[in-house]
Order: sequence, then structure tokens, then C-alpha cells
Amino acid sequence: MVVINTNTIRLCLSNYLIVFFFFLTCCTNQTQTSSAEVTILWKAGHAMAITIPGCYLEKINPDSIDQLVSVRLAYPEETTSILGEITFNTNGIEFIPIIPFTPGLRYEVVVKNDCVAEIEIPEPDPAEGPVLLGVFPSQDTLPLNMLKIYLQFSKPMAEGQSQKYIVMLKNNRDTARAVFLDLQPELWNSDQTMLTLWLDPGRIKRDLQPNKLLGNPLQEGEEYTLLISDQWKDLYGAALQSGYGKHFLVTSRDSLSPVPDSWMLNTPVPGTVNALEVNFKEPLDYSLLNAAFRIRHAKGRSVKGSTRTRDEERIWHFTPAEPWMKGGYVLQIETRLEDLAGNNLNRPFDLDLKSQNANLFSEKIVEIPFIVK
Amino acid sequence: MTPMKKLVFFLAIGAAGLLAIATTHHTASLWDGFVTGSPEIKSISTLSFGPDGILFIGDSKSASIFAIDTKDATRVDKSPAIEIKNIDQKIAALLGTQPQNITILDIAVNPASKNVYCAVHSIDGTPVLLKIAGDKIDAVNLKDIAYSSVALNNAPAEDAKDQRGRPLRISSISDLGFYEGKVMVSGLSNQEFSSTFRIIPFPFGNKQDQSSLEIYHAAHAQYETAAPIRTFTIGELNGKKYLIASYTCTPLVLFPLDELKPGTHVKGRTVGEFGSGNSPLDMITMKKGDDMLLIMSNSSRPVFRVKYKNIESYQGTLTTPVEESFATAGVNFIQMPLTNVLQLDKLDDKQLIVLQRKINGDLDLWTAGDRWL
Repeated sequence: MVVINTNTIRLCLSNYLIVFFFFLTCCTNQTQTSSAEVTILWKAGHAMAITIPGCYLEKINPDSIDQLVSVRLAYPEETTSILGEITFNTNGIEFIPIIPFTPGLRYEVVVKNDCVAEIEIPEPDPAEGPVLLGVFPSQDTLPLNMLKIYLQFSKPMAEGQSQKYIVMLKNNRDTARAVFLDLQPELWNSDQTMLTLWLDPGRIKRDLQPNKLLGNPLQEGEEYTLLISDQWKDLYGAALQSGYGKHFLVTSRDSLSPVPDSWMLNTPVPGTVNALEVNFKEPLDYSLLNAAFRIRHAKGRSVKGSTRTRDEERIWHFTPAEPWMKGGYVLQIETRLEDLAGNNLNRPFDLDLKSQNANLFSEKIVEIPFIVK
Repeated sequence: MTPMKKLVFFLAIGAAGLLAIATTHHTASLWDGFVTGSPEIKSISTLSFGPDGILFIGDSKSASIFAIDTKDATRVDKSPAIEIKNIDQKIAALLGTQPQNITILDIAVNPASKNVYCAVHSIDGTPVLLKIAGDKIDAVNLKDIAYSSVALNNAPAEDAKDQRGRPLRISSISDLGFYEGKVMVSGLSNQEFSSTFRIIPFPFGNKQDQSSLEIYHAAHAQYETAAPIRTFTIGELNGKKYLIASYTCTPLVLFPLDELKPGTHVKGRTVGEFGSGNSPLDMITMKKGDDMLLIMSNSSRPVFRVKYKNIESYQGTLTTPVEESFATAGVNFIQMPLTNVLQLDKLDDKQLIVLQRKINGDLDLWTAGDRWL
């Protein structure tokens, strides 16, 4: 939906008289004063276009509009016209820039090389700023070869900014350097609410140069704080409502794959919609936990329902949409499911080829049958 | 006309006809699957040119590759040097925003026209494609154009959503290349630390005849890890074609092209490591005299120049632990006096186009001539 917001126009002093004349002409010809103002067209929270009323465009041949009308940033000596498209509407024209106008910036409307109006894009209400909903892994004791961290936000965030606003502090004293992989583009989910941060894999992989020279990004026995700055903005230009700090202690390396055979299943009672509970006895990867499981009837039909994790990603719950029936079911797990150190069900993150335990599995799915009775 | 001359004449006519048919067929087949319309490009992560001005766009957000007709196929053998100082400020002014709100994600030179195409990400998420011809920067029209596209094969649980119904998994496209009628795509997931490498025949068909590979590399023949490819090129070593790839953790790895078979577990051979805390950004091949050169830009190292000859001569020792020298190991290479190079591409046979952050903070696009090679 397009919302029209009338904003105050500021006139360029140098052209005040000319514009005043334009205004006079416009206002005498218009029944509503609002149609004589430059207005911002909003869509999905972005200032997508401005409408320039016809009174600014008198005596301009419509075929020459592209050459004679432009919009530029209201900086001293700025002469660059903003790239965009001009379309005609009943009041005048719309100027649609390639990207939305930036909140907090001022723009000039230029007609025949004269600035005829100035408009400011309002900044969003700070109270509507985004919130950091969660940092995963949740637990406060993490392996030294932890591979990734997920940040979950309440609103779509601006991309390409994470390195500016995230700091890892060691023992509340020193900034730990080169901890994260600097990726452009960053790894956001499709609605830009969850960011994946990789800890530098070159420093985690044993025997690679970065690992041998710099060591692991995190050191065993040390305490760290992940700091998220409140300056980080969302897609609409609003900053986080508050900063955030996650404190954690680093423990020993985890080089073992999760073993589904050791998991505990708490099976529900038939006729209820009580949750099936799977206890992994260790925290697993938050994002994969929400993606790697399926439940089927023994006869093959998929069971629909909702999932959630608890106990710091050690336990996974599945609540069916319809009551459980007596009989056999199968819990299917994609083997790409990982623990916090990137060890998946088929292979550890860095496989020691000289170890006798260097067994690889290649199944895509492993299954755990269970009976509801 | 003698019978012999007649025969020659008709043979010539026939040959010309066949040639015309072959040419027509070739031209027609290249554009198979193209439609006219406005492609729904959600993001522009990577760019690569094919023949006849066809630009391939890697769209991570929609997990698709778009091929667009730039209509910019007029052949130029040698390009005048391009030099645009403070290109980020110029692009920001053209987009009506500030330089800190944009990121140049990729540049690609059209091998026909030698014009430079530039993928820009703005903070609000709008993808922007620009064309740089000489010192003129303009937007590339993406409406009502001829294009075709292919969606990347989805993993089984790619449609998985979190408890709020938001999609979780994305497959970011880390690099893209066109080689001998095939589009090659390396991918990076936000969930698991694995590498997918797809080879997609072009023109894109209705049938998704694309293959996906699991790629691993071994460090010093002891630890084998999965690793996402950050950047790659195709090169010929000792008469055999190789995928020359660099990972997020810097090692330079070779894969014989003929071993890249669908659904296989492929192990590359590490031939070089280029230091700690470094990540490769871009990789191209240039020729100087009889030498083929691999040119590689890095996140925290100068640009590297590696002679193909050195990689070829390193073949025999690939399986033994590499000799170490300072912070690097493996094949010999030269560090060029070019630091903070974010993007590079081949402008013509003797020139490179370089996007460089200068010591004073300026971001300049400039041409490195023959003497830099």
C-alpha cells in the first residue's frame, strides 16, 4: 500500500522569489494546497518516491521532463542528479529513485537547473527500533572450536554492517581480533532477521596455517563477552533499542559427532497432542534443530506439527497438529545436523585421516523408530 | 562455366548455406529459454559475463541465477584505461545516499565491450546494477529485458521454517563463472559448513540438469574438512583442465574438472596456504608473454600473483606436508605491491581493473597496466 505523507517543503533561498512566484501560480490554480507541495510516497516503511506537483513544471514540454527535472542530495555544491525514473500522475510527476530515499537526509528538487524545493526524509521513531531476540548457542559454556553464532532480530536488519557493530571481548579486557570470518555478502536468512556469524574456520581447522600461527579464535579456560552495539540499524534506519552482551566460558575441544542412538525419547500418550521430546544430552545447532527433523507414521505419511527447542538447545519438542494415534512412528533426522563445533551426524568437522576412528557415513537421513502406546 | 567450376560453385554455395544454418542455429541456441520481461532479482551477489553480452547474475536471496541480455555486445579489443576516484562517493551521490550505506559486492568486465558492470548493495536491501563506460556511471535497466533464469536445486529441508514461520536456510552464492557452455556456481550455506559446487548447462533448460558436489580438502594430508569455496577460476595445468579454488580459510586447492561428477564426494589437493586471518576475495587468470598468471586479491594480504608453471611444478609434492616459509606455505607466489584490493577483473589482454581502498580511505576504481603483471 502506498501512503502519502505531506512534508514541509523548504525552499532554496537563492530561488525563493522564483519559487514564491511558482507557489503563487500553483496555489491560485489549485483547490487544495496539499497538491502544491512535494510529498513523500511511502511503501513498506521506505520513502520510495516523491510527487512533484504540476505547478513546478509549467512551460516544460513533457518530452523534456527527464532532461529538465531532477532530484539531488541537498549538500553544498552537490550537482549529481540521482538516478531514477519519472512517471506522470494527475497532480504532476513522481520521481522514483533506484533505491529508497535515506532517512535523515535532505534532497533538492531541481527544475531547469534551479532548486525549487527541498525535502527532508524523516527518521524513524526510535521506540520502533528493532530488538535482539536471541543469541544462539544459548548456553554460557561453549567449546573452543565453536563454529558459528546466530543472532535473531525482531525486524529485518541492514546488511553488510555486522563487522562494525559486533565485538568479542576477552576476559572483559581485550578485544579478541580476527575472530569472525568477514563475509560480503553476509549470511542473512531471507527476511534478514537472522544473521549467521562464522568463527574463522581457518583458525579452527587443525594444522592449517592460521590455526598454527594464531591458534583458535577462542581459548580454553578464558571468558568472553560478545557485545552487540545499539547503533546497529534496521532496514528502515531505526537503531536497536538497546545493546547486548553475551558472557560465556570456553571449555575443551569437541571433536565428536552427535550419536542419535544415545538420545532419549520421551514418547507421548495416544489421543493427546502432547509433545514428543528428544533429549540430545548436549546442545545442538539452533538453526539446524529447526530444520533437520521430520516425523512420519510407520506407514510413511508425514506428521504435521510445530517444533521448539529448550534447555539451551539440548531438547527438541514436536507438538502434532492432530492427536497421536496408537502405533509406530519414525523420527527422521537429516545427517547435516551439527553440534556447536560443526560435527555433523556423518563426520566430525575436521576428520583426522590418520585416526583409526576415521569412519565416514554417507547416509542423508538416519531414522529412530518409536511407538506411541 | 566448366563442370568442375560449376561443382566448386555449388559446393561453395552449399558450404556457405551450411555455415549460415550453423551460425543461425548457434545464435538461436544461445538465446534458448530467454523471455522478455522484468526478472524478479532479489539480490545481486555475484556477476560473470558469458558470450554476446550475456551477463550472469547470482541472486543469493532467491537462490537463482539470472542470465540477462545487456545488449552491450559490440566488440572492442583494447579498453582505454578507466580511472574513477572515490567511486563509492560518486555511486552514493547517484543513488541519493551516503557512501557508508552502500557496498560494492562485485565487478565484472564485459569481455566484448570492455564496459565494467558493478553490483551494489544498498543498506535498505535494494539490489543495484550499474554500468561504467569510461568515466560515466549509469544504471542498467532490468525492466522489460530479455532474460532467462534457473533456480538452484534445493536441499531437502530448504523450505524449513522457524517457530515464527520464517524461512531459515539460504544458500549464498559465493562465486560464479561461465566456462565452455556451462555456468559454474559455488555456494555457501548459513546453516552448515559445507561446500556446494554446481555445474549448470547453458542455455538453461526446463530440465534441471545441474550437478552438486561435496568438496573437501586435506591439510597436510592429515585433517580433511569440508569447506565452502569463496572464489574460483578454471585453468589448464600440464594440459589438463582444473577448477582452481580458494576457500574461506585461504588454501588454494585444485580439482581436475573431469572428476567433478554429480553427487560425488570430491577431495581437492591443497597446493598453497596464504597466511593467517586472510580470506580470498577474487581470482582471475591473465597471460604475460608465455606465462599464465593466477591473480588473487585477499581480505588482509596484498594481491598475489602465482605462475601456472609453479603450480604445475608443485604437482609432485602435493601429498607430502608442505614446506613452511614465514606465514605461508605451498606453491611459490609473489606478493604484488597492491594492498586492500576488494575486487579485480581482466579488462583486456594487458590490463586489470582494480577496486582498491587506498591508505587515505578513498575507494578508487583504476586500471593496472602490463607493468603490474
